[in-house]
Amino acid sequence: MADENIAKKKQDQKNPKRFTNKKHAIKKRLPVRPIEGDNVIYVTKKTNFKAQLDKCCDLLAKGEKEIILHGLGAAIQRCCNLALQLEILFSGTCQIEVNTGTVDVIDDLEPLTDDVDFGAQIRHTSSIHIRIFRTALLGAN
Amino acid sequence: MESGEFDAALGGPENLPHSANSLKFAASRSVEIAAMTESILRPSKTKLIFQSLPVHMRRRVMSHNCKRLPKRLRESQLEQLKKSGISRQQKRKPSRKHRRRKTNLLEEYNRRQRRNIWLETHIWHAKRFHMVERWGHRLAYRSCDKAFRACYRASSAHCLMQDISYYTPIQIKGPVDTIKDLFNNITDNSCGLGICAKAYINGNREGTINLYKPNCYPYDFIGQIDFLWISSDNSYKEMWLFVHPSQAKIVENVLTELISKSSTDLSNVDSGENLPAKRRKISTKYSEVKIKPMAGIFNRIRLTGPKSHAVLVHSLKCVDNIENVQSNNWIQHLMNKEVNLLLKEKKEYWEQISSLTSPSQLSPRLIIGLVIKDPRWSRPAKRTKAQNNYITSIDAETLINVPPYLSSSPLWDTSVCDIIKEQKITNAKFIEHVTKTHFVPGEINEDDPTLQCIPIILVQRPGSQNSDYKKIGYGCGWDIIIPSGYGLPFWLTLIMFGARSGGLRETENLAFEMGQCYLPPDSEAGRLEEIRIESELKEKYFRRPPSKRVNFVKLAVPYPFICPWKILLKDWGNNVEGKMFVLRDKKVLDTLQDCINNKKKVPKIENSDTCLVPIYIKMQGKGNLTKYSTICLPLVKDISASEELMEPHHEDPNTKLRKQKRLERQKLLKQRRRKRIKLRKKQIVINQKTKRRNKTEPSEYVKAMRELWLPSNIESIRNMGIREVMGYVTQGAFSFSEANIRGIGYIAYNAIMTLDDHYLNKVLVRCTTSKKYRLANIHIIKPP
Repeated sequence: MADENIAKKKQDQKNPKRFTNKKHAIKKRLPVRPIEGDNVIYVTKKTNFKAQLDKCCDLLAKGEKEIILHGLGAAIQRCCNLALQLEILFSGTCQIEVNTGTVDVIDDLEPLTDDVDFGAQIRHTSSIHIRIFRTALLGAN
Repeated sequence: MESGEFDAALGGPENLPHSANSLKFAASRSVEIAAMTESILRPSKTKLIFQSLPVHMRRRVMSHNCKRLPKRLRESQLEQLKKSGISRQQKRKPSRKHRRRKTNLLEEYNRRQRRNIWLETHIWHAKRFHMVERWGHRLAYRSCDKAFRACYRASSAHCLMQDISYYTPIQIKGPVDTIKDLFNNITDNSCGLGICAKAYINGNREGTINLYKPNCYPYDFIGQIDFLWISSDNSYKEMWLFVHPSQAKIVENVLTELISKSSTDLSNVDSGENLPAKRRKISTKYSEVKIKPMAGIFNRIRLTGPKSHAVLVHSLKCVDNIENVQSNNWIQHLMNKEVNLLLKEKKEYWEQISSLTSPSQLSPRLIIGLVIKDPRWSRPAKRTKAQNNYITSIDAETLINVPPYLSSSPLWDTSVCDIIKEQKITNAKFIEHVTKTHFVPGEINEDDPTLQCIPIILVQRPGSQNSDYKKIGYGCGWDIIIPSGYGLPFWLTLIMFGARSGGLRETENLAFEMGQCYLPPDSEAGRLEEIRIESELKEKYFRRPPSKRVNFVKLAVPYPFICPWKILLKDWGNNVEGKMFVLRDKKVLDTLQDCINNKKKVPKIENSDTCLVPIYIKMQGKGNLTKYSTICLPLVKDISASEELMEPHHEDPNTKLRKQKRLERQKLLKQRRRKRIKLRKKQIVINQKTKRRNKTEPSEYVKAMRELWLPSNIESIRNMGIREVMGYVTQGAFSFSEANIRGIGYIAYNAIMTLDDHYLNKVLVRCTTSKKYRLANIHIIKPP
């Protein structure tokens, strides 16, 4: 896994498109979502922390067996915070399983002059996937 | 008693004749008889005809229904009705049953379509939406359900659908260089990519371009227009413009004028010698370019929101084998021309990207031409929400690479469109066919050759691409271009897969939520829209009783229902001609934003006297924003002040005048009344009532009073309040995407230059009906 990442990084350094030039503007695309569902939550920098915490609490309290949090890049910290908060709130009844990974994100290079075409570049961002699952029902402890 | 009157038989002198002459008898009484018959036939004038009947002959609703009267009285009854102004009898509506007959209904629809153009989904919309007349069309404005927030949710998390078939497609054919030259007259490079940019010319992507009147840049903006090229190898190319109907006429006129003008220019030079020889080759600069507006040849449906991809994936079933559809007339027509449809490759690509969660994960403004089965085959039995299927995972390469064959489509061939429209199977025929051939309900044979397959084109819209401004991908979606005749089948299928329908209000609202300017004020279309809204708001304002009207003079808001751009610019510079333009030069906008971010001095530009800058407003603390709120220049002490700034009370000099005027008017009316009564007593009938020419036109008095409420001759607005006015808000409300109050407005360029260097992004805003000034931050709006 690690070797792969290193290989990828080396590839990027060769890729001249990584450097912004005056002929292109960088526009971001939405990252690909692995899966969607009621119990899958994507944490972003913009969403209100308290609102997402409440949402998670609601889900767990209503009998969801597990919820999965995904965080990307700068939102990783918020994602961790959210999971830790949940662990404190549901102390003893929930467990956390953390996975990290790398996600390929696509940036579009929009031409600023007439003589160049659209381009795209792949960026790698680190990601975190936290699975929170119940070990005992809420009334048990 | 006199003796002379006695009969002879009694001894009197009178001798009676032996016979009486009846004629003479009657003649001598003729006057009395005439009077009597007269009074019977025409009873005294206060009575109605049926009142002359004896009670036992009277019937219910006699006055309305003349057939209840005896026949001899009917005529005079009708006459009487006519005199009293009721002529309902003649104009009676035909019965509902009669009106609902198919031919009669169709006739009625055709009659109603004469004034405004209807879209294909009109009847569907008319049952569910409030319809308005706009730009020569009858368009859906908003849903009859309360669906404002639901529509926002659809656009941000589900799928919002709008019929935008009112966009006029214009076909342009010609050599690339000539087209480029033609468009150089009406566009400018500083606003973005040109029409022949390498990014667009191969036809893989749709582009937008700002059009101006010929050689008028930066003034006389026409509008922002979408265009796409048809991919072909030779230099003689075809392109299509999709023009908003408010600008369609102007664009068409400008283009045709440019082409015809260029030919006259050159022919004038030639006109000196041997005319006939020269006339043969009037071929001039632009005459090779052919322009053809083709309103109504396509339908265009706009899907917005991440789920729009799932909806499309479910409702579009690609054709992969040409043998199945060979019997279709349009396919045969193309096979004669030996066009390769590349059905397999396209289907493969479409299946590859079918598990996307949002259209914004694709390459921006991508064009995909597909050939699909009739959409009526793929409808679910019940309305269902389309969900993503996570069967395949997509690798980044398929998202990045755009195959060159993707954009080709037979739809651009107009003869194909005609054939498809002709061969369309109506709904009734479709149902008949299905009941005949499909014995198991629910089971369908998608490859049925009776229903032709249809070429369509999908155009991706990336939505927001800047995460600092709006969340990435907000407003993304697909535009579907389909041949005419198939609007409703497609529409219904998409509805069945859970798309929510929206109208014009959603278009306005989407532009606001995305922070884009909708119909900018320097274009003709924007100006007309402003005037329309102003008159509407004014009507509403003056319908209130005077005691319930906001007195805008007291609030120092001179123009509460329109933004007076020209006066504003005149106040901020010596703009005498009344010209104005909105800044669209990308570089200048970038430097402006840079200056605001880094607190640098704003540079001076050309034409800054007539320049408006589009800005996005965020409230710093509390406060609301509405349309026509004023943006004011803060003093340095306002920014750190703990107390809120209040506009002091202004005196209204017109209050006394209004009161006086009203009293005078009352007096006059009283006088007139007295006079009338007097005349009536003297039984002199004078028909003094002069008919008012136009009932909607208010009288002179009303006009004068309105002028006193809202004076229209204000020449300077900059120093009306205690803070100088910089600009106005054109759109302001609670923004769901930001969960806060946001506004879009324009400020004069010269006003930005006077902003304090340290607080370049701080302004004061004040609503039209409020005295409080609130602090707000501004951003420069950059066109996408």
